[in-house]
Amino acid sequence: MPAFAALRQFPSSDPTSEAIVAVTPRKTRLISDSDAAIGSPLRKSPRFCKEGTPHSSPTANIRKCLKTSLNLSGSPQKKQLSEDFVERQNWNPRDETQRRAVNEALHVSTAQTNVVCRENEQNRILDFCKKCIKEEKAGSLYVCGCPGTGKTLSMEKVKAMLADWANEECIQYPDVLPINCTSLANMNDIFSKILEQNHSGKRRSHSTSSLQQLQNLYSQQTPGMKMILVIADELDYLITRDRAVLHDLFMLTTLPFSKCILLGVANAIDLADRFIPKLRSLNGKHMVITFCAYSKDQIINILQERLRALPYTVFQPQALELCARKVAAASGDMRKALAVCRNAIEILIGDSMLSSLDGTEDQQKSAENVSMSNQVRIDHVAAALSKVYKSPVVDTIISLPQHQQIILCSVVKLFRGGKKKDTTLGELNKYYVDVCKSTSIPPVGILELSSMCRVLDDQGILKLGQSRDDKLRRVTLKVDGADIVFALQGVRFFRNCLQ
Amino acid sequence: MAETQQMKKFKTPSKGTPRAKHPISLDHHIAPQTPQSATPSAINLRRSHRLTAATPEHRPALSSFNTPKSAAKTRKICEDPPSILPTETSINPASPPPVESRKKRKFQEKSAEKRKDSRNVKCKRAADRKVKKKVYHKKVVYDGGEFSAGHDVYVKRRSDASSDDEDPEVEECRVCFKPAGRRVLIECDDCLNGFHLKCLKPPLKAVPDGDWVCCYCVARKNGEVMEFPEPQAGKKRARTAREKLLSSDLWAARIESLWKEVDGTYWFRARWYIIPEETAVGRQPHNLRRELYRTNDFADVEMESTIRHCFVMSPREFANAADGGDDVFLCEYEYEVQWHSFKRIAEIDSNENDGEKVVDNDADWNSCDESDSGSDFNSEEEAAYENEKRNRLSQSSSLRPVAANSRKGQIFGLQKIGAKKIPENLRSRKQTDLEKAKSTLLLATVPKSLTCRDREMNEITTFIKGAICDEQCLGRCLYVHGVPGTGKTMSVLAVMRNLKSEVDAGSIRPYCFVEINGLKLASPENIYSVIYEGLTGHRVGWKKALNLLNARFSDENKCRKDTRPCILLIDELDLLVTRNQAVLYNILDWPTRPNSKLIVIGIANTMDLPEKLLPRISSRMGIQRLCFGPYNFQQLQEIISSRLKGIDAFEKVAIEFASRKVAAVSGDARRALEICRRAAEVADYRAKKTALSSSDASGKTFLLTGKVMAGMADVEAAIKEMFQAPHIQVIRSCSKLSKIFLAAMVYELYKTGIGETTFEKLAMVVSSFCANNGETFPGYDTLLKVGCKLGECRLLLCEPGTRHKLQKLQLNYPNDDVTFALKDSKDLPWLAKYI
Repeated sequence: MPAFAALRQFPSSDPTSEAIVAVTPRKTRLISDSDAAIGSPLRKSPRFCKEGTPHSSPTANIRKCLKTSLNLSGSPQKKQLSEDFVERQNWNPRDETQRRAVNEALHVSTAQTNVVCRENEQNRILDFCKKCIKEEKAGSLYVCGCPGTGKTLSMEKVKAMLADWANEECIQYPDVLPINCTSLANMNDIFSKILEQNHSGKRRSHSTSSLQQLQNLYSQQTPGMKMILVIADELDYLITRDRAVLHDLFMLTTLPFSKCILLGVANAIDLADRFIPKLRSLNGKHMVITFCAYSKDQIINILQERLRALPYTVFQPQALELCARKVAAASGDMRKALAVCRNAIEILIGDSMLSSLDGTEDQQKSAENVSMSNQVRIDHVAAALSKVYKSPVVDTIISLPQHQQIILCSVVKLFRGGKKKDTTLGELNKYYVDVCKSTSIPPVGILELSSMCRVLDDQGILKLGQSRDDKLRRVTLKVDGADIVFALQGVRFFRNCLQ
Repeated sequence: MAETQQMKKFKTPSKGTPRAKHPISLDHHIAPQTPQSATPSAINLRRSHRLTAATPEHRPALSSFNTPKSAAKTRKICEDPPSILPTETSINPASPPPVESRKKRKFQEKSAEKRKDSRNVKCKRAADRKVKKKVYHKKVVYDGGEFSAGHDVYVKRRSDASSDDEDPEVEECRVCFKPAGRRVLIECDDCLNGFHLKCLKPPLKAVPDGDWVCCYCVARKNGEVMEFPEPQAGKKRARTAREKLLSSDLWAARIESLWKEVDGTYWFRARWYIIPEETAVGRQPHNLRRELYRTNDFADVEMESTIRHCFVMSPREFANAADGGDDVFLCEYEYEVQWHSFKRIAEIDSNENDGEKVVDNDADWNSCDESDSGSDFNSEEEAAYENEKRNRLSQSSSLRPVAANSRKGQIFGLQKIGAKKIPENLRSRKQTDLEKAKSTLLLATVPKSLTCRDREMNEITTFIKGAICDEQCLGRCLYVHGVPGTGKTMSVLAVMRNLKSEVDAGSIRPYCFVEINGLKLASPENIYSVIYEGLTGHRVGWKKALNLLNARFSDENKCRKDTRPCILLIDELDLLVTRNQAVLYNILDWPTRPNSKLIVIGIANTMDLPEKLLPRISSRMGIQRLCFGPYNFQQLQEIISSRLKGIDAFEKVAIEFASRKVAAVSGDARRALEICRRAAEVADYRAKKTALSSSDASGKTFLLTGKVMAGMADVEAAIKEMFQAPHIQVIRSCSKLSKIFLAAMVYELYKTGIGETTFEKLAMVVSSFCANNGETFPGYDTLLKVGCKLGECRLLLCEPGTRHKLQKLQLNYPNDDVTFALKDSKDLPWLAKYI
């Protein structure tokens, strides 16, 4: 049962990684704040690896820490991959065409010829479609999964496979109607689109709605009507207040002579159950196929697959693995993984530009090392990852203007002791004026204060509630108070104030 | 008569040439962004030729007019034999502007070189001469055709073009090259060629209903090559006027007004039509074959250069004119030649006045008006007026390069209301440094260089370049965030300007750039139509625009004509968040499609906007972020001093003081600039005051001390003005009785320790105040009125005055503020002891 498997996998991997990602890099970032940004990722990378893989065995961890040891691979799959890499020639990041090829291979829009890691799900969808077409029976299938797990891509693939199969079996290939529900101006347009596809503009009576026409069409036997395969992407945009559109859409497939195969795609697992409970009673065998978030092996696989077409090695295997592990731990979103890889390449290119500017003797010296320097290393990936997953709260607080820092300081003082969770702007103003007066800083007026609070709200540090009166707006802290204390302790004024 | 016509024709070119050297037309060549300069040579050629357009020989009579297709039209054939001398059907001397004589014009032509600025001389001469007048007509029968204002005509493009010699009247069959005769010609809806029914393969029996496309066009569409049959050797295929117009060998124009010159020649004011190919966007797939655009470009044309009528119709008329003939065209939009914008022509179109309105900002018209119509002025006032107009025009053309970026609307508006440039000689007084400083510190002034944002600008540049430099432009997104006033939009626009210059230099490929501000959209969905308009120049509803954009960004098979990458800059991105966030989803989904070639740059204040969005949207948004932090005081200082470079108006400490003050509160560069500007104003005011006072006493001392610099005190005053909340100023400036009222309020509230009091209690306090300090107690009614006034300006919160004594009162501002404001009031010194 893949649906259950996904469920089990999700909570187990998600919260831990969330916690790690949210807290730890922030701290490390702060400590290493003074030294240059280039130095920090290198030093950090072993830690990243350890934290990124909470479920992996200790041996695997050690292996990853020794980043030069190519042969010390643990899993057989890994070994095969690394061998694969050794044979290839080197990638030159300064070459325009090669760079372009890599960028293109890693771009989201580039569809692969074969979608790996989703064979199981694809086959199930395909089988469903085949069955429906063979029996000339309508049916509906709901596909769900997190963003970036290849749902839409698989749908394209299924479409192509279905066409091949229809050719082989000499069965009439059904009309395919892919719809992205976000691009519908009006929700009811989906029916008119289906109707149009059904009998391409032959007769359109305007007296009845297209939904009624469709219902009429499917409730009486019409010989020689073609099957129609509707692929509705982002199905949840069809949810209206009375859920009529979604309900009617699924009900179309239950009509006695319906020829409509409906494949709905959305993120929510329980969309079908939640919004169309009636459907369940009508046909119990309603199918749901879940695309679970990619695991790290799958992400590595996909990245390898994308890079396989290139005749040169771009990534060190460890670098890929780091990327895959981090992304898999956080969300399993393939788009993120690809973005991280592209970003890492950009960092490498930037580095190589810098080094080529620095001088030529350096290059000559590292001529034997060039094979290594032209690949994306762990540190590049780590730098790219830190862009995505690091939380910049402490940095932001440090760079805030002083009065905004004083506001944060007074908020922390106000909430200290844990007796209060929120306050109003008027009360905050009092506190703020007190803090200012204690150190004889002229305070700003309440209007100024509320505009500063709005800026802090924009930065995601405070949360301002809605209220008609400015003074009565609720103020809550959105970041950990300890973070603020930590960020402000460098300044003596705040240290005194917070003690 | 024919003699004179000939003479005139030969002279006209010489008349046109000196005009070309006029500074105005030169301006057009230089100004890079005026629409004319896109094809400067073509336009100029066109203009000068229009003036000279006249046929050498007598034009063919309109007798060969028996083609069945064009027979149905309203053109009247004159009963009289066609004559060169026009018959005046009506004379309307309603408002005839004075005009110099033909003779004088000839004189001008001859002495064109000498006439550098002999405007005054000329005017005098014109005044001496007895004034002859231009006569305006409603209708003119000319050369056999009857023309009146509002008619559309073909106009010759070149006087000597051989193509004009052909008979443009008769349409031939495209296969057998014989004119239609009595047989029916059928017109292909695609190539507009005419065919005899029987010449077709297979021959048609009758004219089919609906659209019909000839077999040649069908073949071409299928990718086959099927040539039209060639005419017999030595015989050229005659082209109809319609064909020539659509291949831009002729023009079409609308007659706005007609008049007879003093020399007897007939002229008309033409409003040009242009074919879609001549617009900035070129022919679009949705353009009909017979579509024309009406422009706001005018010229005075001699009647001689017209050929005959054509019929430009609105879409509804066009739909009804089923077999209206060959000279029927469709015009649905007006094309603005300056701004390359399209406007749908209103159904009820006031064709008389609407032209004149536009004329004011039409530089073209003015220059050619003077060069050829000869409607020169005969009085000093007119000359002055003309000069003024010229001034305005030269100003507009000098402004245009700036205007084409973003502020075009403003400048257009200014000209429209008749704002004019003050001549330089009037500005004899030299600007002082403080005044210069004031103008450079204006927020609207675009600084020459952006300081302190080099890193961010580099990042944006590499981002865009990385995206558009590749052959295969890969779509991507960038999210720029930061607090207000940190130069987000300005940096992106500066990068785009740099890129534009690189495009002009040819080092990178051209792209199209659409800039949208979320605040300016009526609703989030409207962004679709704005984007579509930015890309193609057509305005459609958002639902249609969404479909079209979806097709544009997703369809990979269809090879689009416009393969340039597209950069979309969306300012205030957070305003596009709708309830189901479909708008953002669509916009951010397009770059992930193959072949979309779309780059999205979003700007907003919120740092965590992507996290607040639905996960599917933030997944598509990618990870490219750029943060603009608030400026620190060094950066603000640098920004201000870079703007003030070369202007010695500020003390260094004053700048530092202002930037430190701002950096401590918000780090908003706008605010720092505003403070400095205000400080400069204060200093300027101070300087003028001292100058006035010292000028009577000792003018010398001021001259010696010379310059007044804005110092700390001025900045302090400016900051006080800006940062101090308005209520304190209101309290300080309110009446004596209100001050006593407020003081009593503070006193009472302090004494009781409750947040509110009643009017009765307060009146007691006020009366005791007055009694103790020798003021007269004004009485309850007046006091109540004062209370209500204070309540109206929200210093107090009070119940309606009908409750009278029981009215509850409350201070709207903290006690401390009121105390602070009242503490040192000069007229009521005794108040201080109560508060």
